[in-house]
Amino acid sequence: MAVNWARSGSPWLIHFNTGGCNGCDIEFVAAITPVYDVERFGIKLQGSPRHADILAVTGPVTVQIAHSLKRVYDQMPSPKFVVALGTCAVSGAPFRNCYCVHGGVDSVIPVDAYVPGCPPKPEAMIDGIAKLLQKIRGTKG
Amino acid sequence: MVAYEIFQLVVFPGALFVICLAFLYEWVDRKLFARVQGRYGPLYTGPAGILQPVADFLKLLSKEDIVPRACDANLFFAVPVMYAALPLTALFIMPIAAPEALVSFEGDLIFILFSFGLMTLLIFLAGWSSMSRFSAIGSVRSALQMLSYEIPLGLVLVCPAIAARSLSVSGIVQWQAANATWGAALQPIGLAVVMVCMLAELELVPFDIPEAETEIVAGWRTEFTGRRLALFRMGRDLEIVLVSALVVSLYLGGAQQLWLVPAAAMFVIKTAAVVAVFSFARALFARFRIDQMIAGMWKYLLPIAVAQVVLVQMGLGA
Ligand code: SF4
Repeated sequence: MAVNWARSGSPWLIHFNTGGCNGCDIEFVAAITPVYDVERFGIKLQGSPRHADILAVTGPVTVQIAHSLKRVYDQMPSPKFVVALGTCAVSGAPFRNCYCVHGGVDSVIPVDAYVPGCPPKPEAMIDGIAKLLQKIRGTKG
Repeated sequence: MVAYEIFQLVVFPGALFVICLAFLYEWVDRKLFARVQGRYGPLYTGPAGILQPVADFLKLLSKEDIVPRACDANLFFAVPVMYAALPLTALFIMPIAAPEALVSFEGDLIFILFSFGLMTLLIFLAGWSSMSRFSAIGSVRSALQMLSYEIPLGLVLVCPAIAARSLSVSGIVQWQAANATWGAALQPIGLAVVMVCMLAELELVPFDIPEAETEIVAGWRTEFTGRRLALFRMGRDLEIVLVSALVVSLYLGGAQQLWLVPAAAMFVIKTAAVVAVFSFARALFARFRIDQMIAGMWKYLLPIAVAQVVLVQMGLGA
């Protein structure tokens, strides 16, 4: 109970771009500006994967970066969650069958929440993360 | 009588009260920082987000505990515990509920100074033991930073002691009470120097060089997870209480009863004001480079600190 409350009350994010066009990244950075004030939910952006709870991934996973993504995921302490931001991260989108693209994020690591859009608005990203937090609060600890 | 003494040590004004204060001040700091940026800050965790630091702490306690294979395991285990315990111990010397602290002896001001040095040493060991390049850079920067602020800080903290002819924090508070004055009124220069040095001691924004997120990930704490990170964060919060308690005791009259307001309440109000100054500084300034910081401390702050000692010796401000 208390643990789920604490987990859903203090999600710390780390951002990872797996080869996107930067559109999603700009929107993600916009989502953590004072205008949207995600600290209301206790969200903080962390630099080190060791401190983070939620991995926010943008862009299609290229073959070259797939093992780095896996490695950053492994460096995070569990329980850890992954949000795929943008259609590219959800499925690979237009780059799906490209020779250099591995696929969506869920072809490499498990994903807990998908936020489609090219790019999704900051509001949509915050909504996706808030839904993930609801999920964490609901799960049995 | 023994039961009351144990109550004093464990509950009020001892460990429990101080830890609650540490969490409260983290919240105050984050809220003020957010207000300066025109946003709300923590809002949904408890009333007005007041339980945010508690949620962070509980969450970190419940996370997986990763020990990097390359690290020096003994140090890696011991340092976080010592880092949280040291400021808690030092806080017993601070007068909180009365002008007389729980523990006081002639020379405890020197113990406080020593514990500030030890905190930095622990940070250095923390970064060094985790054997990561980011941690190593962070800890070396932290040690370098100490070399520059420790000397002006030590010089200036001696001034209230000279004025009060006592090397104990409680003694200085009682001297201020007896003379109906505040250290800040007599030694404003000293107060300014101490505030700048304390920003560096706490690694707050203009001097957060050892954990500069944009350059070296999270500095010396990069490799710490879960419980250990929670202890480091609590140690930092306790250190903020310790530092503001020291500033209040030496310069702002300390825990003195004012008319009907009890001493402990005055202490909380005054320390919260000091924390507010820290968070405004954090919100208003940008980070210095390490060379700018060291050059500035040696070129400007050290002469000012010496000037304050000379002024006190000439009988001004004493
Ligand atoms: S979803 Fe659109 S904006 Fe985002 S990385 Fe892909 S192409 Fe760029």
